Amino acid sequence: MKRILSSITDGRGFDIALVALPLAFLLLLSGLPLLYNVLMSFQEVDMFSLGTLWRPFVGFENYRELFEQPETLPILGNTAIFVTASIAGQFLIGFGLALFFWTNFPGASWLRGLFLVSWVMPGLVVGAIWNWILSGDFGVLNFLLRESGLISGNIFWRSDPNYSLWAVVMANVWLGTSFNMILLSVGLSAIPGDLYEAAELDGANAWQRFWTITLPMMRSSIGALIALGLIFTLQQFDLFAAITSGGPNNSSNVTQYWAWDMSFRQYDFAKGATISVIMIVFVMLASIVYVRSTRHEVRG
Amino acid sequence: MSDTFRERSMLVIALVLAAIYLFPLYWMYITALKSGSAMFATPPAFWPSDPQWQIYGQVWESRNMGRYVWNSVVIALGSVAVITVLGVGCAYVLARYRNVWVDIGLFLILMLQVLPASLMITPIFVGFSQVGLLEYPRLAVILAIAAKSMPFFVVLVRATFMSVPQELEEAALVDGNSRIGAFFSIVLPLARNGILVSAILIFMQAFGEFVYSKSMIQAIELQPASVGLNSFMGPNTNEWNNIMAYATIYVTPILAIFVLLQRRIVSGLTSGALK
Repeated sequence: MKRILSSITDGRGFDIALVALPLAFLLLLSGLPLLYNVLMSFQEVDMFSLGTLWRPFVGFENYRELFEQPETLPILGNTAIFVTASIAGQFLIGFGLALFFWTNFPGASWLRGLFLVSWVMPGLVVGAIWNWILSGDFGVLNFLLRESGLISGNIFWRSDPNYSLWAVVMANVWLGTSFNMILLSVGLSAIPGDLYEAAELDGANAWQRFWTITLPMMRSSIGALIALGLIFTLQQFDLFAAITSGGPNNSSNVTQYWAWDMSFRQYDFAKGATISVIMIVFVMLASIVYVRSTRHEVRG
Repeated sequence: MSDTFRERSMLVIALVLAAIYLFPLYWMYITALKSGSAMFATPPAFWPSDPQWQIYGQVWESRNMGRYVWNSVVIALGSVAVITVLGVGCAYVLARYRNVWVDIGLFLILMLQVLPASLMITPIFVGFSQVGLLEYPRLAVILAIAAKSMPFFVVLVRATFMSVPQELEEAALVDGNSRIGAFFSIVLPLARNGILVSAILIFMQAFGEFVYSKSMIQAIELQPASVGLNSFMGPNTNEWNNIMAYATIYVTPILAIFVLLQRRIVSGLTSGALK
């Protein structure tokens, strides 16, 4: 007993105690729900069996029913569009801004940091602001587009099924661009400057320098960032709750909102769990890409 | 073209870009100050001619915001407390050693970091209701947020501990300190700033948390400000000036903290996030 105690205050036991407690906490509150999720997706869950652990086992019935529903494929398609468009928008605008702020001028780093306010704001607030900006009759975006002659009539961003998904994409691009820009700036500043001096002496123009030095040197940052973007985009829930609620008629619904809607609006917890399991597999794959692409940095 | 001219023009372009980017924020502040009719005017005014300053007091009273914000603060502080107490030690050990077990631990933590809250809420809700945790909904939300955000905290704080030279701790051990003594009197004080910045980031995240609170807290008296904002925005609302006033009151403290500590927050974030 005394040996164990002294090991905890002054030895290996100290490290093990420090690490074991949080890991146990995480496994209990993240790992266990994860397994429970898989279990529920194979069970029949209703309001009466909610309180028990052993419910009727139904095999792949939930999965089969899910893919027979007419809205499943469109929602999966929406998710793909949402993820691709958001990542592309965030990355391209973020990269452009990062390249611009890379040319050092006074105040550059302070101004660059200021962009990050979009990222620290509560998602619900961002959603509320964009909901108002995108409003059909009185929204300021429609006003600006009309004045600049890009559109002739108002676009009903939130209630037109052709635009509702893009309304959320726009808000999400705004939200995530700053984070992309900051991380790309870190990657850019790590490129040794003498590479550019050497290239300039050899007569390479700005365009050639970008393609032959900047992009190749940024390869691992870009890979990590795109995987991270995928992870963050699949976590985006608040904007859907605040702007369209997945409507109208599921035209802007995506899986991460749908899973919640299934469980907490339609009280079909088994379906909610089934959708969650499918999506968590995707997220896990993305995170393996992310972890692999940062592996050498983790060790260093 | 001289260098100062080039720098000045770059600064001007940068300011214009920042102004375009931050326009939604500006629009929130301006809309809150407009009267009911000015809000729906065409063309919209980009500067309020008749600012309605009393709106903040009105919204604070009528929406019972004191209670909402207090609940947000309770949830955020509770989450930060749980995460800091559990996470700091974990980050320290993961930074101190480099072997297979640390790699496995890091991998587990990174994997748990990526699970989307809206997908995890279904099993968490059902599990919590079975063990009776939903009787204490704010505690339930705190635990759920802690499980969600702790990996992020551990990754950030680990980067801080890596920058603390190990020789200092070894010197303290040689001088007769125990491991616990060296940890509390040498390592922790040196890593204090990094831990503080990470805790502030976690606080901001938890202060705006929505999914868990929306799903697990049914009683209005216990709901945080994010859920209050959500129930304020009905599908066909036209009270946008009031909603924007609500949003302003909710978000301004966070923005103030961010602008004051911007440099530290950004550097803390970038040192951890890509590592």
